[in-house]
Amino acid sequence: MIQLFHLFKNFGPNVALQDINLRIRKGDFVFVTGPSGAGKTTLMRLMFGAEKPTSGNILINGINLNRIRRQKLDLLRRKVGFVFQDFKLLTGKTIFENVALALEVAGERPSYIRKKAHLALRSVGLGKREQSYPLQLSGGEQQRVAIARAIVNDPLVLLADEPTGNLDPELTKDIMLLFRTIHMKGTTLVVATHSRNLLEETAQKQIILNRGRLVGSK
Amino acid sequence: MKLRLIPYFVKQAFQNVKKNRLVHIVGISTMVISLLIFGTFLLLFYNLDNWIHGWGNSFSMSIYLEEGIDSGAEKGLVQLINRHFPGAKIEKIISKKQAYKDLLRALGKDAIVLQGLPRNPLPASIEVLFKPLNGKRPDPFPIKEKLETFQGVEEVQYSEEWLDRFEGLMRVVRLAGIIIGGLLSLGVLFIVTNTIKLTLYSREEEIEIMKLVGATDWFVKIPFLIEGTIQGMVSGFISLLALYAGYAFLSAKKADILGLAILDFLFVPAPYILTIFLVSAGLGLVGSFIALGRFFKL
Repeated sequence: MIQLFHLFKNFGPNVALQDINLRIRKGDFVFVTGPSGAGKTTLMRLMFGAEKPTSGNILINGINLNRIRRQKLDLLRRKVGFVFQDFKLLTGKTIFENVALALEVAGERPSYIRKKAHLALRSVGLGKREQSYPLQLSGGEQQRVAIARAIVNDPLVLLADEPTGNLDPELTKDIMLLFRTIHMKGTTLVVATHSRNLLEETAQKQIILNRGRLVGSK
Repeated sequence: MKLRLIPYFVKQAFQNVKKNRLVHIVGISTMVISLLIFGTFLLLFYNLDNWIHGWGNSFSMSIYLEEGIDSGAEKGLVQLINRHFPGAKIEKIISKKQAYKDLLRALGKDAIVLQGLPRNPLPASIEVLFKPLNGKRPDPFPIKEKLETFQGVEEVQYSEEWLDRFEGLMRVVRLAGIIIGGLLSLGVLFIVTNTIKLTLYSREEEIEIMKLVGATDWFVKIPFLIEGTIQGMVSGFISLLALYAGYAFLSAKKADILGLAILDFLFVPAPYILTIFLVSAGLGLVGSFIALGRFFKL
């Protein structure tokens, strides 16, 4: 599903990633971990096509992101969901509208959008709060809206960058439970985190980065 | 692009206008002023052109008669002119005496110069106005040649100088119009570009999120292009309305605009109105296109 070959990424003189080789299979649930500055976010952004590698190749579902045209990348993003640490919700829109946005940009029919957005919000436990605005919700609820938006298109892959970074331990458990449910439905999941507590409680595969290098896996 | 998305884009564009109404009000007001200046210029140009062509389509000739021609021969000549030239209208027949009187009056204090003359040296003349035939101005040269073959005609004169002068003036006015129109168009483009840029910046976060969830560039751009076009159309419409209101007010008051109020003052015709409206909408579209080009390069 995701393959990285000799991946390097520099930001000017700073080396963010060095020679990363990785293979994540369809249906895997993988944690990318390491201390702050290890290169987790850079790796996630590269897999999402938000950054271009300095060298090396990234294949998502067989498509090489280096060779893909801009428009095709936009279309690929509809099949790769991304959950951000800071949620990236539009505060001026209701949570229903936030989730529906991912379907609107895909040009779906209004009736389909209504049905799917409702189902996605219900699956994250916010079915009754569709008309609320993000700032009327707690941090955990806002993250669940972001997850609903990421899964509403039935993505092949769900990438989450520090999704529980801003949440307390109770809410973190809720979010992780939600990810397991999504994974059980067949979605490939890659979650970047530096939380040791989270990793200790899980039996999922872990990829460990340090100073831009892949230093191990569990 | 899916056609069913068109209502979505239009709705988004109107929502953008509503959200950024203050920016749009300022943008539209400035655009209206620019278009109004151009419209006023066009209105004046149109009327000036109309008047000059109205005058220019007809011309007059002075036919100087031979010395000693009698009134019978003079009448015969008038009949001959009317028969040969269907567009001709005899304006005035000036006898030798009358010509002398006119000259005396014109010279005023200097009339003394005529006192030493043994006899009246001025010839009798006929002033003929040649009106356009089938909407076309007749060529004066063959008319002059033909008239000079008639018996009793000494010389024929016509002056095109004033026409040439006016046509030269119109060329200058036209050139000034193109320059003013060009500069104002650039100004309007600048206004639209900046208005759309402001609305783009106000929605920067939303655009970023739309791109992150898979929106194509065109999906994001189209509502902004519609927004710019709406701004152009509204500005064009308001400026035309204001131009007409100004025209109606001045016409009703019979105001003396540059001393031309005695003439028919017309409003610009439908093709001009349509052109102003379409150019305004087009400038809105192009302006937003420029703003988007710059924004999406970032």
